Amino acid sequence: MTDGAGGSVDDTASGEPRTWGRWFGRPGRSLTRRLIWLASAWIILALVLTGWTLTNQYQESALRRLGHVLSDTIDEVVVSTNAAADGSITVDEVRDEASLRALSGKYWAVAEPGPRGHLRILVRSPSLAGESLTIPDDLPARLAAARGATISYNDPDGLRRGGEGPLGVPLRVAASMKQLPGRTEPVVFLAGVDRSNIDSDTRQFATFTWTALLSLGLGLVIAVFLQVRIGLRPLYALRNEIADVRKGRAARIAHGYPLEIQPLAEQVNRLLDHNQETVERQRTHVGNLAHALKTPLSVMLAEAGAHEGPLPDLVRRQTEVMKAQVDHHLRRARAAARAQMLGEITLIEPVLDEMAVMLERVFEDKGVIIDWRAPDGLAFRGERQDLQELLGNLMENACKWAKRRVRISAGATGLGQMVVVVEDDGPGLPEDQREAALERGARMDESTPGSGLGLSIVVELTRAYGGRISLSDSEMGGLKAVLELPAAQS
Amino acid sequence: MRVLLVEDDADLSRQLKGALSDAGYAVDHAADGEEAHFLGDTEPYDVIVLDLGLPKIDGVSVLERWRREGKTAPVLILTARGAWSDKVSGFDAGADDYLTKPFHTEELLARLRALLRRSAGIASSTLACGGLRLDPRAARASVNGEPLRLTSLEYRLLHYLMMHQGRVISRTELVEHLYDQDFDRDSNTIEVFVGRLRKKIGPDRIETVRGLGYRLTSLPGESDET
Repeated sequence: MTDGAGGSVDDTASGEPRTWGRWFGRPGRSLTRRLIWLASAWIILALVLTGWTLTNQYQESALRRLGHVLSDTIDEVVVSTNAAADGSITVDEVRDEASLRALSGKYWAVAEPGPRGHLRILVRSPSLAGESLTIPDDLPARLAAARGATISYNDPDGLRRGGEGPLGVPLRVAASMKQLPGRTEPVVFLAGVDRSNIDSDTRQFATFTWTALLSLGLGLVIAVFLQVRIGLRPLYALRNEIADVRKGRAARIAHGYPLEIQPLAEQVNRLLDHNQETVERQRTHVGNLAHALKTPLSVMLAEAGAHEGPLPDLVRRQTEVMKAQVDHHLRRARAAARAQMLGEITLIEPVLDEMAVMLERVFEDKGVIIDWRAPDGLAFRGERQDLQELLGNLMENACKWAKRRVRISAGATGLGQMVVVVEDDGPGLPEDQREAALERGARMDESTPGSGLGLSIVVELTRAYGGRISLSDSEMGGLKAVLELPAAQS
Repeated sequence: MRVLLVEDDADLSRQLKGALSDAGYAVDHAADGEEAHFLGDTEPYDVIVLDLGLPKIDGVSVLERWRREGKTAPVLILTARGAWSDKVSGFDAGADDYLTKPFHTEELLARLRALLRRSAGIASSTLACGGLRLDPRAARASVNGEPLRLTSLEYRLLHYLMMHQGRVISRTELVEHLYDQDFDRDSNTIEVFVGRLRKKIGPDRIETVRGLGYRLTSLPGESDET
């Protein structure tokens, strides 16, 4: 489970990459998605603004350059222009090759405001070859309003040939209204220049800029995506570790995490500790209660046993009932505490070993031999105390009934389960009594000395762990108890 | 037979003292851990009945002290805490048997008789191999003075290896001496038990001789006189 981007803890099947929809769905539910969305939006906004500014700026500066050329042309023409006393205008021959060659791309004209606000062309450059510069209708008014200033405009249609349609070359035109000496009427000077080069330059620049920005944007979004995935990896790791704790594969959050989520990991650990403490406290209380009650019960049993008669008999019987009740309720309390436990795992082998050593010692008179086998590393998903309780009671029971031999074999069965088989070579248990033995558990070992609550504890504990226990005949001759318990992969 | 009864509950003590005296024991009684430790340390008792929940020093600590000081008298633990973890910690401290409260007096007496029978005539010739010691009569072994907790099959294996120390012993020979005739013998049994023994006595004492079997040797630098 190395993958697992963004999904919740419960979606354990996160190994398969799902549809793109998970990245483009509602952004609120995934941190990854939210980060990627925010960053992408910001990147796109910034890049669009940048692109727009760059292309605009490029065009502006190109137009400014054209503007200089145009005003130079106007200045040239103004210098060469003479106004006669009768008001007629002549322009000295301009020895400028570009102004002479027809349709060279550099044009000028001199005009005067005519009646009804129209401009009347007086002189035009040879390069115009009889064509006319387009003059917008509102130009005279604007020129009159800003006398002396230069007004530039675009002429997308270019030169008109006798009004028969556009020549096809877009022009940039500048116009300026000037007062010439010796003439009362103002004169309008017009200069035009071919702007198709500039336009294609601008277009090329725009294409280049947008392409570059687009790839930059894509690159950035991918980088953000990777950054988020890599940046959030500790979160996924933490999630997996918590899942491990829940599944009992680990007891605590063990890894070090980055500064930002280390506190979270520590809090989880503290929560686990707190949980453990609570359980321990419960246990201690329960143990104390046991101790407090059991010594007086011993006294009553002993005292009643020392006398004959109906009263001692009654006391003895009732004391046994009390004993059973105390044990029963203590177990219930312990089972309740147990249900909250997280993440404990206990290796089987050392528990089997210590139990075997101890019980062989206890049953030394009988010479019981306990032969146990368990694979290395097989672990019970639960607490050591509980495993001791389960195995101790089953093994003690087996030792009690065995003639000589007790055999225990433990093994994993896969799917997080394991099985422990405890067998003896004793008399065994008739089939019709097995069910009852498991149901009540209590009384079957009364006939050998001992307190005899072993099996009921085992049944309740097994149930609390979601395991199973069954009894059958052993090929060794005695009883065979098969205990299925949750295992932890370790 | 002298018995030391360590129990802090007055009523229970009185009853047990009476029952033990009736059964023919000479009974000394201690009501707390300090007194118990002092008595057990100074008087030669044949058997000790030890309650675990004691004032001043708890029973397990008292037992540990006795065993550290070399007191070998068999000890039966009385405990109200019936949990196996308590029993195990009692055995780790050196107990020989346990009885869970509440119990029947007759059972206590039966257990004491068994303990006394077992411990009769403990002093005997021991086998030694470097820091390893094995007492065949008491069926106890120790390594560097620390008592070893062995199951009987592990003990049998170690016993056989120690009786033939320095010699290479084949798996077949070992398996024959490990099990009675009717025991099932699978092929890797010996490996399993050698593995477990190595965990308990140290990995280097049992040497694997490839294709032949196993050999028990003392560690380099260890003399058998220790």
